[in-house]
Amino acid sequence: MPAFDYNFQKLEPIKSFKAVPEAEQYLPGHRTCAGCGPALNYRLVAKAAGKDTIFIGPTGCMYVANASYLCTPYAVSWIHAQITNAGAVASGIEAAFKIAARKGRHTGPFPNIIVMAGDGGSVDIGLQAMSGMMYRNHKVLFICYDNESYANTGIQTSPTTPYGAATTFTPPGKEIPEGKTLFPKNVPQLVIGGHPAVKYVATTTIAHPLDLMNKVRKALSKPGPTFLHILCPCPKGWLFDEKLTPDMAKLAVETGMWSNYEWEDGVYKYTNVPKKYLPVGDYMKPQGRFAHLKPEHIAKMQAFVDEKIKQVQRPIPVAAAVPVKKLA
Amino acid sequence: MMTGCRAAAEGAKSAEVEVICSFPIRPYTAIMMELAKMVANGELNAEFIHGEGEHAQLSVVLGASAAGARAYTGSSGVGVTYAMEIYSPMAGGRYPAQMSIADRTLDPPGDFGSEHTDAMSTRDQGWLLGWACSPQEVYDNTLMSYRIGEDHRVMLPQMVCQDGYFISHIPDKVTLGETSQVKEFLPPYRPISPLSLTNPVSHGPQIRPDQGAPMDAMRAQTFLAIPKVIEEATADFARIFGRKYDPFVEQYRLADADIAFFIMGAHSNTARAAVDKLRKEGVKAGMARLRWVRPWPTHQLAEALGHVKAVGVVETSTSYGGAMRGGNLIHELRASLYDLDDRPLVTSFMGGLGGETIWPADFDYMAGVLSKMVKEKRTDRYVYWLGM
Ligand SMILES: Cc1ncc(C[n+]2csc(CCOP(=O)(O)OP(=O)(O)O)c2C)c(N)n1
Ligand code: SF4
Ligand SMILES: [Mg+2]
Repeated sequence: MPAFDYNFQKLEPIKSFKAVPEAEQYLPGHRTCAGCGPALNYRLVAKAAGKDTIFIGPTGCMYVANASYLCTPYAVSWIHAQITNAGAVASGIEAAFKIAARKGRHTGPFPNIIVMAGDGGSVDIGLQAMSGMMYRNHKVLFICYDNESYANTGIQTSPTTPYGAATTFTPPGKEIPEGKTLFPKNVPQLVIGGHPAVKYVATTTIAHPLDLMNKVRKALSKPGPTFLHILCPCPKGWLFDEKLTPDMAKLAVETGMWSNYEWEDGVYKYTNVPKKYLPVGDYMKPQGRFAHLKPEHIAKMQAFVDEKIKQVQRPIPVAAAVPVKKLA
Repeated sequence: MMTGCRAAAEGAKSAEVEVICSFPIRPYTAIMMELAKMVANGELNAEFIHGEGEHAQLSVVLGASAAGARAYTGSSGVGVTYAMEIYSPMAGGRYPAQMSIADRTLDPPGDFGSEHTDAMSTRDQGWLLGWACSPQEVYDNTLMSYRIGEDHRVMLPQMVCQDGYFISHIPDKVTLGETSQVKEFLPPYRPISPLSLTNPVSHGPQIRPDQGAPMDAMRAQTFLAIPKVIEEATADFARIFGRKYDPFVEQYRLADADIAFFIMGAHSNTARAAVDKLRKEGVKAGMARLRWVRPWPTHQLAEALGHVKAVGVVETSTSYGGAMRGGNLIHELRASLYDLDDRPLVTSFMGGLGGETIWPADFDYMAGVLSKMVKEKRTDRYVYWLGM
């Protein structure tokens, strides 16, 4: 039997800022904090994806601070998911559109199905559902908007909260002076390492808007599951001046706390690699969440980052790199 | 001849379910094994998704239902409770997908046998919740539940329950519907505002506290409207398929009964035989079998059982620390009879727990207790534990 043509969308890259579409799919009127990184991210993602899109929004700031009954900011279809199950809800939606297309009930382009999940909703309590969706090869773009905490519940530590950060569950004290003692999960590697159906994974930040939008478009143009990890500074959780949101993301890249890269069919491509990395202290200083740290803690963070940036520009070994053609 | 699991799968096939989500757990697994074969053979055009757990199963069918597909899933025992978070979003979102349950005892101790506590523990989540007592009724309830749940006056998910093994794995005679009968009885699923590209909608935003009570009241109101929809569907079903059910409560030799068993599920088959035997012995016994736990048929039960002198509730689920110290059904039955001027005495019998059989001798014993209650015009116990 020939494969059914679901009419998946192909989105052209955006060549320059001038070419960015004017139409907004994520509108004003929400209740996020001033300078909210995840809200800015939502706007860019939605703009890049365009009108033929369905968002799945698990519980978190991008649900609670956005979606009020009778007044939501989404110009496209959107559905709430639990913080636990966005990947599975997305799988069901994708399956429904597939069967509807096969039966001729749905015509026209196949929707861009995008999960917009926080770090908790993707790589902690949402991990199982995300992994299941990716394993099963659903055509869904899963985005982890990383504000490095369980923000909506009042800034509690999550598996992406950096070492040394004060959160309401990791308050620095006499016994535990650095606050958070653990180092974060490696989010994109969690996806790349274990999901042979995923052919495209990329990282970016809200300080790199064109890069961000083009990664969204590239991800949406793949026929299967894709993943984006996007750094979205959160002034309330990280305790910095709200006008500095993009600067925090930029500094993260310049100090090596964060790297922008693409992983496409097994090949890595890094961008925005600084000629010379700034010391991590430059990134930590403007953020109140690190204010309690002693020089030895900052040194520990620097050692962690030094190790991390060794990987930059080099392919990271992957457990099971699957040749593309064979699977298709 | 077919098992309850096979009958459920045939029901799903007749209903032309479009998105199916599976996860293995005995005994309901056999439903999914049957459906997997039907999809693999091209007998059923559906997306068959291997969920990564029951929580995912429900989440997948929620998404599918929101996007306009008729969706189907199922589970047993701890699988039912593992999915607990998702029952309320399904009902609150008004997604009329179906979950087929073959009841199984919860852990611990590990036990495969039927006990109703699994599905009963979801009864306050806003679903339609019904029990079958034969493979035929499983097939019929599968179709009836979709018809009722997808009715625009209802729009709610449905749980179609059958006892594990007693029904799910013992073959019995089943007549399947003709395609034309099913078409006449069950129209295609018509979602009210599905996720769509041409008509953007938002599903499930946050509300303010003052918007909460009106929404809850609307859902409560819906449940008041469901009985009429059930009556219509049951009548239509009888007309089209020729099989007639009491919409809410099967009444067996109840009209002139002095004592009655109140029961649901598989053991009602033994109860019917026990009633016949007791009648031969001169005991005016009868049986009321509950078909829907949600909506609970308050008035229908008062009508069916009001004239009986003593009712014995046969409980196959537990409510530890509950008002009547044993099972679940007695609470709501007593509440249903409370407003009658002359109400029956009511006690309960814990039976069939862990999948144990309720034997004919157990019914004789229960009849003895009930007759004694009638004679003494009182009951001094809320609960008896059979076999102990
Ligand atoms: C099952 C469940 N447990 C806990 C919560 C409480 N909760 C609501 S929002 C939230 C934080 C989500 O964190 P994240 O996914 O990182 O998104 P953020 O709020 O940071 O944007 C939590 C824990 C919940 N809604 N559901
Ligand atoms: S707490 Fe952070 S993520 Fe949440 S709305 Fe405020 S700035 Fe945005
Ligand atoms: Mg977060």
